[in-house]
Amino acid sequence: MSKKSYLFAEDSFFLSRRKFIAIGAAFAAALALPVGWFSSKLERRNEYIKARTEGLYKDDAIAKLRVSHANPAVEKYYKEFGGQPLGHLSHDLLHTHFVDRTKLS
Amino acid sequence: MTHQHDMRPIQKHPLNVRIFHYILLLSFLPLAATGLLLYFKPLSQAGMQLTYDIHIIAGVVMALDAVAFTLMAFDRVVLFVSRVFSFSSRDVKWFMVLGGYPQKFLLGKKVPVPPMNKYNSGQKLFGACVLIGGTILILSGLVLWLIPHAAPRDVVYFLGQAHLISGLVLTAFLPVHLFLAVYRFDDFKAMMVHGNVPYHDAAEYTPLWVEKEIVPVTANGEPATGK
Repeated sequence: MSKKSYLFAEDSFFLSRRKFIAIGAAFAAALALPVGWFSSKLERRNEYIKARTEGLYKDDAIAKLRVSHANPAVEKYYKEFGGQPLGHLSHDLLHTHFVDRTKLS
Repeated sequence: MTHQHDMRPIQKHPLNVRIFHYILLLSFLPLAATGLLLYFKPLSQAGMQLTYDIHIIAGVVMALDAVAFTLMAFDRVVLFVSRVFSFSSRDVKWFMVLGGYPQKFLLGKKVPVPPMNKYNSGQKLFGACVLIGGTILILSGLVLWLIPHAAPRDVVYFLGQAHLISGLVLTAFLPVHLFLAVYRFDDFKAMMVHGNVPYHDAAEYTPLWVEKEIVPVTANGEPATGK
């Protein structure tokens, strides 16, 4: 390849240094803004799940009844009708039975 | 009477720009074709999978090309940005006659066209679309390919739409660009072969560029800055 195949070229310094830096910075900022927007979206993608979890824990902490076996209605059921937890009647009434319906046809 | 053209060469597209343009060309053409196939889905499952694979590979090539050029030739990128985003009353006048091209092609008439810099107003518009659209395509494409499961669903949908619109706009520009590129054959040879345009061509189509930015080069190929 010959060293020089042309007689004229662009003057490399036709843009002033100040303008060069300003345009370069604007270009970099224009690239950085959408990248920053996306990364913040990505970072905050689970925020609504976290907020919901926090809300549930908060509700739980301030609830009057925090465990099911302290529920007066449940206590009353066992006392007046169901007998013992995991007893025969309770097992029959409260446990779900599974029926395989996958081969109905 | 014979008319002699001034054939002295002016360097218009340096080697790094030509290499960048070649890789862009070789990656964008398959990207546009496979992009349309991915949108209309005319092929079988295996065919669509192959189309997707080609789209990804060509997309990675284009992304690497753009990143490498931005890092290695940042000065050219800044000059390009400066040129395509410059705007003056000349551009309004240029668009009012559309560079005189329709009159030339359809009516065989030559109308006066305002003097242009290195790129005419249409090329500047195309350049801005390529710069913005290309950036959108690369960034959104990377997200859609690599982390569609991790990014928020509404953002993925938005990026998908942005990818589609940018891709369609740039693909629509493609036939116009190819036609005008071959029509301006001196410029075509400059971009595809040796980088130089003859002085008479530059003086006719880009008089402001010749007047304001072009200087004679010294024996070792450096611009002789005399301003």
